[in-house]
Amino acid sequence: METGIRVLLLTVTLAALSGCASVRNWYHHRSEVRAARAEAREEAEAARNEPPQDENAPPRVVEPEVARRKIKVPKIHASNIELGLHYGALSIEDFGTNPSYGVSAAYHVTEDFFFLAETGRSTAGRTSFETLGGNIQLLTRAERHFTYYDLTLGYNFLPGEAFIGRGLALTSAFYLLGGLGATDFAGDKKFTLNFGAGYRVLPADWLAVHITVQDRVFRSDLLGVAKLTNNFEARIGTTVFF
Amino acid sequence: MGPGRSRLRTAPFGDPLAGVLLLLALLAAPAASNARQYLQVFVKQPYLELHSGPGRGYPVFHVVARDESVDVLFRRTDWFKVRTERGVQGWATQWDMLRTVLADGSPFTFNVGERSGFTSHRWELGAFAGQYGGATLISAYGSFSLNSQLAGELSVGQFLGKFSNGVVGDVGLMHLLVPEWRVSPFLMLGTGVIYLEPKATLVRPAQRTEQTAYVGGGVRYYLARRFFLRAEYKSHVVFTKRNQNDKVDEWKLGFAFFY
Repeated sequence: METGIRVLLLTVTLAALSGCASVRNWYHHRSEVRAARAEAREEAEAARNEPPQDENAPPRVVEPEVARRKIKVPKIHASNIELGLHYGALSIEDFGTNPSYGVSAAYHVTEDFFFLAETGRSTAGRTSFETLGGNIQLLTRAERHFTYYDLTLGYNFLPGEAFIGRGLALTSAFYLLGGLGATDFAGDKKFTLNFGAGYRVLPADWLAVHITVQDRVFRSDLLGVAKLTNNFEARIGTTVFF
Repeated sequence: MGPGRSRLRTAPFGDPLAGVLLLLALLAAPAASNARQYLQVFVKQPYLELHSGPGRGYPVFHVVARDESVDVLFRRTDWFKVRTERGVQGWATQWDMLRTVLADGSPFTFNVGERSGFTSHRWELGAFAGQYGGATLISAYGSFSLNSQLAGELSVGQFLGKFSNGVVGDVGLMHLLVPEWRVSPFLMLGTGVIYLEPKATLVRPAQRTEQTAYVGGGVRYYLARRFFLRAEYKSHVVFTKRNQNDKVDEWKLGFAFFY
């Protein structure tokens, strides 16, 4: 980046920060609002104390002594955030299938779309090369930890209801996932794409049970040749809506 | 979904997960308890339709007549869970709820996600993918609007490169030039930190944390509902401990929503 372009950008930024102008007036704006409110209060007080100006109006028989009640409008709770835990099996390409566990947080933006942030961990087993080769160790113990984290967009593909017997209907949805993230494995972090699908059923408005299958794809040259590795994970999870 | 009673019937409290679930249930209980004060709204259209779930496809199983009231239990995305005077619970769309009134006759208003919200809103969140000095970058950001033109922003990202990986964090101001345009340009100014982990080669260089400053610009494009696309460029200066500062370019494209 040339310094000239940076200077130009900086100049344009500073010159265009007109939004700051309105920030500058905030304090005065608030003081105006306060003054207006005080004035309104005074007027109300004066109106209450003064006798009616109109000569023809009937004289007031009873002075009303009703204190104005303050009405507090209850806030509506927005329940769009979903937090949870999951447990499953992760198949690490060339390293076998092993238990995995993790946490996730989702934000439901519309009835169709949600954003998902998740992280999880598994530990890789031995490659067949290591098993057959005797005493060969490709990775140290610490390098065998497979940790992933990602940001994913979800789409509720087939919303519906699941029925238990005659009397109970649970809302459910089949959803598709796609996102970006990173995988920390074999002493290196790799840019990782993920694709998946899942099924969510809600036993109560605040509780959900998920079954998800997700593939994490990243480029690896661990076994000599650079290749795209597919790492499938099947898991079950439970989440709570907040 | 049934009323409170069915929750007890359906929650799987018999297995080893029971403890965890019970704990989570206690955490979530305030949202579901009846002790809470709910907002009461009155139906002004001929009737209010209640759906069995929070989605356009769920069937209408109940209607509330004009002048009857409902308690608003909570909101999920564009749907409100309500309870009628007779205790029937169901989901009403935000478009129907907009036509109800409060006890004093004033209209029930709330934030609906549409174009006007794109021009002026409080919060936005988004995710990006792009390039940071030649390395692949993934990042997320959150912003808080001070007014319709100026917002404070916080972003965190991870870059994964051939020679080094690292984490970047930025905090700064974003200024929208014309907030009401659908394609809306903006400028940015701020500071941040970079944590760099060089990859192992013959000599292993030390990991380091440096301070940065940036200036940049970009555009936002309103898609639909609460969503918009955002493309931006930031020019960073990394204040190193050496004689010369580093310069890093950052390009990214992302998907975000406002609330």
